[in-house]
Amino acid sequence: MKHITDDDLTLLFYGEHEDPKLAATVADSSELSARFDILSAELRLADNFVPPHRGDSYGAEVWQKISPQLGGDAGKSKSIIKGWLSAISQPRFSLAGAFSFVLVAALAFTLGRNGGQSPNGDPGQIIDMPTVALQGLNTQRLLSHSVSSHLEQVNVVLTQFANSSESSANEAGDATDMLVANRLYRQAATRRGNKQLAEFLADLEPLLIEMAYEAQSASAATRERMQQEIRNGLLFRIRVMNKQLKKTEISV
Amino acid sequence: MSQTEHKIIQKAAAGDRSAFRELVLEHSHAMFRLAWRLTSDESAAEDIVQEAFIKAWRKIDGFRMESSFKSWLHRITVNTAMDYLRKHSRRKQFETEEPEWDPGLQSAEMPVHDTQIDIQKQTEAAMMDLSEVERSALLLKHFEGHSINEIAQMLEITTGACKQAIFRAVKKMRVALRPLVTT
Repeated sequence: MKHITDDDLTLLFYGEHEDPKLAATVADSSELSARFDILSAELRLADNFVPPHRGDSYGAEVWQKISPQLGGDAGKSKSIIKGWLSAISQPRFSLAGAFSFVLVAALAFTLGRNGGQSPNGDPGQIIDMPTVALQGLNTQRLLSHSVSSHLEQVNVVLTQFANSSESSANEAGDATDMLVANRLYRQAATRRGNKQLAEFLADLEPLLIEMAYEAQSASAATRERMQQEIRNGLLFRIRVMNKQLKKTEISV
Repeated sequence: MSQTEHKIIQKAAAGDRSAFRELVLEHSHAMFRLAWRLTSDESAAEDIVQEAFIKAWRKIDGFRMESSFKSWLHRITVNTAMDYLRKHSRRKQFETEEPEWDPGLQSAEMPVHDTQIDIQKQTEAAMMDLSEVERSALLLKHFEGHSINEIAQMLEITTGACKQAIFRAVKKMRVALRPLVTT
């Protein structure tokens, strides 16, 4: 077997590795899992690189400064002055989640194999499977079930975010975990050829990225925009997709 | 890109200043965060955001609607930040060839403290110890979620060079931050 380098694990962490089997290989090896856990914990510390907060009026201030240099009429900027959000930049560092990430990675790999493993599947397909994958696994059903559980968690995290006026460190941590899992399930759905599910999960990613890395230092206006995006249809779409997945679970 | 943003960009590209103002209001915070992470300097980040928006206004009629407006703005912001750092002699090593790097020395220089403020400071110090291309590539990957291909285009380097920049950045960050994980 090819030696797995830290560069490979870095690409896996960022969802960029070209080998779809790597996640399962890592999950199947205690040595690789341990290395991956440490790398994840160390890279998550980079989340502490938190910019200073800018108030709601920052965008208007930028506009006032640049508008005379744009030429033409004077800008129509109006002052947007609201209260400042208290800057909450609670750093977080924890090994929690890294283990579950490995499990998700392994699961996502197993579920994402082209064609999956039908109950009466081709035994030849099992030869290359890591031991984490179970023989006779109905991967289509398991994919639906796993993504459904994932969407339920996303639903909870987004609902809390949409109804909270202030950010918290937990919020960013939850969003990071959701983001990592979401990427893996998206890759699994892509590999299975489930374009609709893959596109839906891809649609969730920009918001999860914003929640994970920007929401803590975002202005109230930006937070409100994100909350509106969640309320205006995203939660509904998640529930509809979840319902579809649950139907798939039953019918498969 | 939403239909609404699509229309706003079209109007701005046609010279509608109020439409461009909407884009400024929408993207200023995100651009500031990126500019600050590139420079670790509040004042510089504010200057970069303003300059980047002025450049964006001048170039917006050349923006291709099928691509991401956010990525386009990020590219302008990164380039503006690079120019700023070069002008202010804070540039380290942009070339692919890296100077000899001693991880043992770097980790020894990083005192370990328990407080979260120290963690923030050490993370910032470690980040600013990276070369510009390493830091840019890592930030655009880690915080902005761009693909390696997108980042390579933004930084005008090859995909391979982009990967190597991320790998180097990750190695250095891990050495610098490792003591914080084990405490």
